[in-house]
Formats: sequence, C-alpha cells, structure tokens
Amino acid sequence: MRPRVPAERYTGASVRRVEDERLLTGRGTFVADAHLPGMLHAAFHRSPLPHARIVAVNTEAARRAPGVVAVFDGAEMTQMASPVAALGAAPGSGGPVSFGILAMDKVRLVGDPVALVVAESRALAEDACELIVVEYEELAPVVTVEQALDPSLPAIFEELGGNRLFGPEVKVFGDVDGAFARADRVVRASIHQHRHQNVPMEGRAILASFDASSGQLLVRASTQGVNTTRQMLAQQLRMPLDRVRVVAEDVGGSFGLKFGASREEAACCAASRALGQPVRWVEDRWENLTVSGQAREESFEVEAAVTASGLILGLRVQMVIDSGAYPGFAPLVVDIVREMIPGPYRLGALSFSSSGVVTNKASYVAYRGPWAAETFVRERIVDLVAQELGISALEVRLRNLATRDEPPLRMVTGPSLAGITARESLLRAAEIVDLARFQERQLRLRDEGRYLGVGFATYIEPAPGPRQEGGEGNTEQVRVELDRDGLLLVHTAQMPHGQSHRTTLAQVAADEFGARLEQVRVMVGDSQQTPEGFGTGGSRFAAMAGGAALHGARRLRGKVLEAAAQILDLAPTDLDIWRGELVGPGVPGGGLPLAELISRIDLAARSGQLPPGVDVDLTATEDFDGGESGWSGGTHCCVVEVDPDTGLVRILRYLVVEDCGDLINPAVVDGQIRGGVAQGVGAVLLERSAYDPEGQYLSATLMDYLLPTALDVPHIEIEHLSPVRLDPDVNFRGVGEGGMIAAPPTICNAIADALSPFGAKVLEQHLPPARILELIGATSA
Amino acid sequence: MPESELGARGPLPIRLEVNGEERGGDVEARTTLADFLRDQLGLTGTHLGCEHGVCGACTVLLDSLPTRSCLVLAASADGCRVETVEGLARDGQLSRLQRAMWDSHSFQCGFCTPGFLIQATALLAENPTPTEAEVRHALSGNLCRCTGYESIVRGVLAACAGPERSGAESK
Repeated sequence: MRPRVPAERYTGASVRRVEDERLLTGRGTFVADAHLPGMLHAAFHRSPLPHARIVAVNTEAARRAPGVVAVFDGAEMTQMASPVAALGAAPGSGGPVSFGILAMDKVRLVGDPVALVVAESRALAEDACELIVVEYEELAPVVTVEQALDPSLPAIFEELGGNRLFGPEVKVFGDVDGAFARADRVVRASIHQHRHQNVPMEGRAILASFDASSGQLLVRASTQGVNTTRQMLAQQLRMPLDRVRVVAEDVGGSFGLKFGASREEAACCAASRALGQPVRWVEDRWENLTVSGQAREESFEVEAAVTASGLILGLRVQMVIDSGAYPGFAPLVVDIVREMIPGPYRLGALSFSSSGVVTNKASYVAYRGPWAAETFVRERIVDLVAQELGISALEVRLRNLATRDEPPLRMVTGPSLAGITARESLLRAAEIVDLARFQERQLRLRDEGRYLGVGFATYIEPAPGPRQEGGEGNTEQVRVELDRDGLLLVHTAQMPHGQSHRTTLAQVAADEFGARLEQVRVMVGDSQQTPEGFGTGGSRFAAMAGGAALHGARRLRGKVLEAAAQILDLAPTDLDIWRGELVGPGVPGGGLPLAELISRIDLAARSGQLPPGVDVDLTATEDFDGGESGWSGGTHCCVVEVDPDTGLVRILRYLVVEDCGDLINPAVVDGQIRGGVAQGVGAVLLERSAYDPEGQYLSATLMDYLLPTALDVPHIEIEHLSPVRLDPDVNFRGVGEGGMIAAPPTICNAIADALSPFGAKVLEQHLPPARILELIGATSA
Repeated sequence: MPESELGARGPLPIRLEVNGEERGGDVEARTTLADFLRDQLGLTGTHLGCEHGVCGACTVLLDSLPTRSCLVLAASADGCRVETVEGLARDGQLSRLQRAMWDSHSFQCGFCTPGFLIQATALLAENPTPTEAEVRHALSGNLCRCTGYESIVRGVLAACAGPERSGAESK
C-alpha cells in the first residue's frame, strides 16, 4: 500500500468548503427561497399579553378579508393536531403538562400564537391577523423566579398547582459534610446567568405540502435534524411515520434552536393537510426574538469548602432554572449541569440541588453549550476563592486541576477524565499571555487611572464525552455507498447549518477510501435516505459521524478491493485505491477509474464470474460511539480594559488554547471557536432578553437585542494542543460549543480583575456599561 | 390619506436595471424592493434577516450605493440600477472578492453572505486598499451570527492583497 503522508491527505488540511460556491453566488436554498405551485402563506395572530384567560376569539372579519383562504383558532387546531406533552413536570404534581399547538384556554407569554391565518400572500395574511379580535381576562404576570415561587400568584398551568415545575431534587457525591468540616474557610456566592438567546440569521421556517392523493406530507424544514422533526410532526399530526417526509437544504444557523418541530411549524403542517395546498411560514425577527425561544437564565447559590492553600474540597450548589412559559428542554439541562460542574477539577465532594419554575416568558431552548452554566459558576467561584484567599487565580486553578498521571481520573459525579489536557492548556495560556509581565503593566497603568484585567477559564466539553460503561449504545450511523458514476456517497443524519459537514465528512471518507475529494458527496437532509440519528447537536459530529464515516469507508474499500482482486486475478494486498482509481502492479493501464471498476464488478457479478461469498453490495453502514477519546477542552484567556468613566469594556487580547483532538479541517475548527467566542462576547457585553415587570418583552428588535458586530469582536488567537490519542483510529472531537462555554466566564473574570481596585464583586454574566458603572459606584460611594 | 385608500390604489408599473438587464413588473405601493427582487424576479440570493434595516443581509447596490432593500419601496426604485449578489460573478467566473472569501473560509451558514459581499464590494470600489480597521468599520452594519467576523474581514483583505489587483469586480 502507498504511504499516506500527511501532505497527501485531505484530513488535517483547510480545504475549501464544497458549500461555498453556491452560497457565495446567491444560489443557496433556504426555506424562504422555496416555492411550490399553489403555495399559501401563513401568519399568526399573537397575544399582546403575558398571562390571560381567553374569553372569546372572533375571527369573522379575518375570514372575510381579501386573499384569506382559512383561519384556524386554538379550538379548531385541537381537532387537527395533538397537544404537545412537555417533559419535566414535578413528581407528585398534577402534571405532566400539556398544551395546544395554538393557545386555547389561556395565553402564557407575549407572542403566544392564538390563531393561524392562511392567505394568498404573506402581506394579506398579516393584514387579516390584525382583524382578529380576542377578548382576554388578564391574570397577574409571573415574570421572575421569586414570583414563580410566590403561591399567591396564579398558576400558569393549573394542573401544576403552582409555578414550580420540578424539584428541589438533591443529589450528593462524595463526603460533602466531611469536606465542609475539614475546610479552613467557606466561600459563598449567589451567581446569576442572565437570559439570552440564539438569534440565527435565518429564523424558524417551514414549507408544508400535503398531497391528498398519496396521503403524504412533504415538509421542507429549517432544522438541525430531519429525523427528529419527522418524528415530532408525525406524532402531533397523528400520522404514520412513513407518511411524513422531511427534507432540508440550507439552514441559516440555529445554535440549538431548531430541533424537532415548533408549535407554529406543526400548525402549518396541519393547515396544509386540511387545505390540501402547500403552506409556507417564515418567522419574522419580532417572532424570532419574542417567541422562538430563549436560553440560560439560571441562578445558583454556591458554597465552596476551601483550605487556606486554595484547595477546593467540596461544593454545595442550589440551582434554579427559569424554563419560561412552555416547558421542554430545561429539565434536561440541570442533569448535565450537575454532572459537569466538577469539570477538569479534582473536586472531591458535591451536593447539588436543582429546581425549575415556569414563568410568562419565552420558553427555554437549547443554546450552544446549553449546560454552560457549570463552567460559568465554577470558573467564577475559583476566582472568588482566589480573591478571598489572596492567592492568584492561576495558582488556585493549578492546585485544583486534575492531572493525567495521578488519581482521581474521574469526576466526582462519575465521568472518566481520561485524555484531558486542561492543565497543559492553562499553563500554555499563562505562558503566551506572559502573566507576570502583564501584571506589572496592570499595576503601572492603575497609577495612571487605567484599569486592565486578565481572566482565565478552563473547561472540558463532552464532544461527545467518554464512552459510557455499560451504557446503551449512543451512536451515530453513517452509510457509505458507491454509485454507478464512481461517486462515494456518504449518508449521515447530521444536518449542517454552518458547520461545513459537507466538506469535513468528505475529507475523512475520501482519505480512508482513497477517493478524490470531488468524488465524495455528503448526503444530508432527506428523511427518506437519512440513516438513524437525531441530527447535529451536542458536538457529536467529529468523533461520532466522522468515526462512522471512517469505518464505513474502510469497510467499503475492503469490499471493493476484494471484488477487484477476483476480477483481475490479483491479490487484494497488491491493490490500492488512490485518488479515485484502482492502482497496483498488474492493474491494466496502471490505474482503473472507479466508475469503470464498478461496472466491471457489476458485470462480473451478474454473469456469475465471481465466486460465491464475494460481497458485491457496494454499501457499508457503520455505527460509531465516538471511540475512546471523548473530551474537548482548553483554556481561554482575555485581557480587558474598563473605562471607569463610561463603563465601556474593551477587549485588548483574546486567546484560546484548546484541544479538540485531531483537526479534520483547521479553518473550520477555528471558525467554530471564533463564532462561539463571539457569542460569548455578546452575552457578557451586549445581549439580554429583557422583560419589564409586567412581562412585556423589551428586546424584540435587533436595535434592542444587540448582537456583536465586526467592531465588537476582537481578533481571537488560537493555539491547538497536541491531543492524547486514546483511540486506534478516531481521535477527532467536536468543537462546536466550547467557544460559547468558556468565553462568558473568561470575559467576566477579566472584568472582575480590572474592577478589583474598586472592591467590586462580579456575580452575574451580563456586564453592559451601565452595570459596570453600578458595580464601581456601588462600592466606591 | 386613510390606509384603505392607499391599499385600494392599483398596482404600480416599474422598470429598473437589475444586474445589467432591463426588468420590470407591477408592484403594490407597499412592496419592498427586497420582496420585489425575491418574489417577482426570483432573485432569492438577497436575504431577509430582520426586515427592519439592522442586519444588512438584504443589502443591494442601488445606483452603486449599498442599500437595505428591506427599507426601500420597490416603487421608489423605479428607473434605478440595482446590483444583487447574483450579479457579482461574471460569465461564470467568481469575482475576486468571492474567490478570496471562499479561500478564506469567510462564511459558515451562508445566510448573511449576500449582504457582506455587496457591502464589501461597495467598500472596495471606493477604497481598493482598506486597512483592517476600515474593513471592520465598513462591515459593522452587517450582522453574522456564525463566524465572529474575523474570517470575513480576512477575506476582504485577501481580495485586495497581491500585485494582480484588477478593477474587474469594482466598478
């Protein structure tokens, strides 16, 4: 076999993206770009109130409005689709909670969909929405966690008997009481992570097309996974799975928002089925910001048992999560936060209490690194411990981080820490930023009235996490096949929406099979062809789908070589596939193109020239769980300057030292990291999903919900550590979420350091100028 | 004038030059240029990201000036010259900027891409050798949620680096 030197491999090179030629020429196909004959347009009449009983819905005028084909209110929609059953109601409560696809008896947040109008154009549908008159009986809004726990306020779901959704549930790991008994000191803090949100540039969108003659629903979706969307739609529409087909082409970002099917999307499918015509809905930015979903908003009471030398012996944590109006994802998040909060640290004891509440705000959804609160809380507490003990934060981290060569090699909550390089990343980041010299400069500049700060955060990210011992096979499936044209088709349930999977999976498969990159087609986004798998999320792609593609391509290559050897009467070991040709001594013409080889195999098989037992099914399906290596991670470091007069924060330097295993495509990896950090910059300095005390949403335009621009995001330096390779074949790891997990605590720690001369204590994540001035003023006044 | 009377006015005929071709159509008074381009001319490369003029995804060149097509009424573009992302490549050849952005891995999901391309094309037409700070300033009215902008800025700078600069794509 030919040597496969790195220079000859696609894997590890920043090859250009196969996605780009279309996207750069305006030929991408997003849902809003798709048209079908007879297509109708949907718009929703939405609640202006956060909490109210619906007394009456009058849609008469809307039904008579120009261009209107149909109007459906909540009662009518209930006849057409099943209610949504929510996860996570408290044991012992009247739950589980369920709710209609459109609001029926009551509305639970501003923007709750009350009626669906279908018309000949979007504008006419919106015109008709304004003619719908709803009579409400207002209820007191439940806007904060404190209000949710106040029994005098009305229950958002009467069947819950209150607004507590679950908990408090307490789990204990290790000897917590012993840790606190041995402690020299207990550091206490109330830490809050504010509400912010995904804001993909393309909002939610769907084009539903029911074909009455075949009884099939064809859906074009903007989704992170066609299989999950299909399952949810089939369930809600009470249709057999095989009658629902979901396809997706270009998806304009998501960051966790577009999993499954939203209520609005299900409503459009139900409307298309009722009308027998295609119905398209493309949410506008107001809808996206107000009702598509929001994330984070978690509060923590933390106690840390520490020794005088800075060892953190144990933590007691009470977490409350605000799940917003319609419960869904929040209960899953607390379990991951609890498991992950020790991170790469040798924390010996943890008591973790979790509760969830419902409020009259947008529903809690997954957002890039949904469990990121664990890193925020831990990395903030580490700095607070350092501050209280008068030890450097770097020193406290180094004293507590796990090392690979001494036990314990697992988190107190269970997961193995094999292969992590957290300590190495921290040391390297401190070296690059030249901490000692920075601190000299920091002191010097303070005398000039300039306030600089440096912050670190060290984290690990399950990407996909260590192999679960005895756990159910959590795998990703890939099907690799050769078609008649000699193309290598790689089918995956991953659904790229910016992650460049069409390029990176092709790189892996091309190398392993011996194909040219342009001979590989990564096939995504059609539930009729897509293998098992829930879609893109949880940083599963690189290790799990990458590994499955690698093993699939390897097995298929073996089949092709064996069949070729039979046809050519050569030994399989003398043959190779290289750059899309069969090569080796004795191969006619020195090389046989794949397409020709395939037709010869096909001919030989059909004319019975191959001995029995030679497998000529040129397909290989592999399931892969990610292999032995499961963690990505690293350290971020940020240097800021805070202007004490304006409260403005300027990021002077941002550095990422990270380990996501072997890089498939370095430019793609760096893009994922930088994009995640940018969202962290936004979260700390700009973005907040703000409500007024009455439950009205205040951030409903992009002039109110501020995304970072090219002037806000600094140059981000990235250094990749050389990974610990534990798996014989697959040492790629996911990298999608780490940037967003580590950036908020890094920036907050840097700001806290800059504000330390003022005695300010940073206990929250959102630090816009007004808050900075408060923090300075509150303590210096 | 009451709204009902505005709505009652019939369609308005418009003619304009789009990517070098004479195009026309009948529009409602309230039809935006973006909707006209997308729905009536089928030029769906121009994307709508916010419809309130903030995100910049819908930016087109209107008589050579970068303009938010979601804020311009189609009727008011009557007689104007419009260039969209579909017009950047000539004779199947990507523009220098498009190639540089491809080489630089500038974009991820691709939704904001058309607006950035048009905005950067306008910048390079006016200033063929911008500094990084000038590029960042010029692109600061366009939102991208995926990339953190660095790859986009690098792509624009790469388009004006090197000796073989031609004015082909900047006019």
